[in-house]
Amino acid sequence: MAGPVFGKARPSEEGGPRVTHLDRDRSLVDAARRDPAEFDALYRRYLAQVYSYAYYELGDHHEAEDVTERTFLAALANLDRFEERARPADGDGASTFRVWLFRIARNVVANQRRTQRRRPVAPIEAAAHVADGVDVEAGAATRDEAADAWRAVARLPADRRRAIVLRFVEEMSTAEIAGVLGKSEGAVRVLIHRALRTVARDLDRGGRP
Amino acid sequence: MTPFERDGTEVEALLTDLYLERVLARHGTDRGPADAGLDPALRRASDRLRRDLTRVHPSFRFEERLALRLAEAAAAARLPAAVGAGTGAGGGVVTFRGGASVANDGFDPLADDPDDERRELPVPLLIGGALTSAAISIAGAAAYVAWRWARPGRGASPMVRAARAVREAHRAGGAAST
Repeated sequence: MAGPVFGKARPSEEGGPRVTHLDRDRSLVDAARRDPAEFDALYRRYLAQVYSYAYYELGDHHEAEDVTERTFLAALANLDRFEERARPADGDGASTFRVWLFRIARNVVANQRRTQRRRPVAPIEAAAHVADGVDVEAGAATRDEAADAWRAVARLPADRRRAIVLRFVEEMSTAEIAGVLGKSEGAVRVLIHRALRTVARDLDRGGRP
Repeated sequence: MTPFERDGTEVEALLTDLYLERVLARHGTDRGPADAGLDPALRRASDRLRRDLTRVHPSFRFEERLALRLAEAAAAARLPAAVGAGTGAGGGVVTFRGGASVANDGFDPLADDPDDERRELPVPLLIGGALTSAAISIAGAAAYVAWRWARPGRGASPMVRAARAVREAHRAGGAAST
């Protein structure tokens, strides 16, 4: 589980609580800004996460690779535009490097869908492919059960599906998901809660809608 | 939904969120912690998703290929900085635009779109097309009105009117050239 990246510092000497940034990537970002070759460390840290997010969104390895490549190239090219400061619209504690990176990935995925000439793969059709691509780890369920779970998730509306993937696959906090999706933390909590209700109903019916 | 129901949903959502915090923190265990305050169906679904939605990894070949591409982009970015340092311009933060493949189509990956589902529809194209069509229609109508007012012999047939218009145009062209 990724730890919280924002937190309340000890009360300052003046007495009032003071909210500070605790971006764990600060040193890596600073290094990459000084020398772009140092971006490699950030790339290695987040490659699998970005790729996985793209794969769950698009259900195709090649498209996921394309989105991942565009995301990291855009992040490298625009690193000077990254601001560690949270924006009020993002709620408490939002913009860290990971949130920023996933916002880029989200936009690249949307652009990929918009510009691709061929018919996009519907989430429900992609479900089987995604489940095929998921490496069922030791002690986990059978592939069929994994496919059932993913189909239930794939049937969700896009924003709920995205929130579930960020929560369970990327193990993001509510604040981070809020930052990525551009919603309030409360809205994200309700999104996930409702998504889980729907998934629970589907799974109780044996994976049927 | 009444305000009371909405508040109830938010409270339930908060309980779910707290449960998920604990579930996701428990690596390597099949079940999440017991929680009397949460609907058992939600708990089962959470446990199931935590178990079955696993991260998908890219191939090693792709990882190294992209690393090389990024290294090339980084090297290209360092070059102007090195030139700047040689001329006494100083170092500092390097600003560069290496993502040509992204920027070529005018797409800004940092421009947030809160409703990206809508972007899947070719809305800009439709709007652009409509505007273009409207512009053509207005231009066409203006030309027609001008021709109507300028034409002699309003009672003539369309073919005669067209022939006259062409003749007039030729005359005007000849006068302009001499």
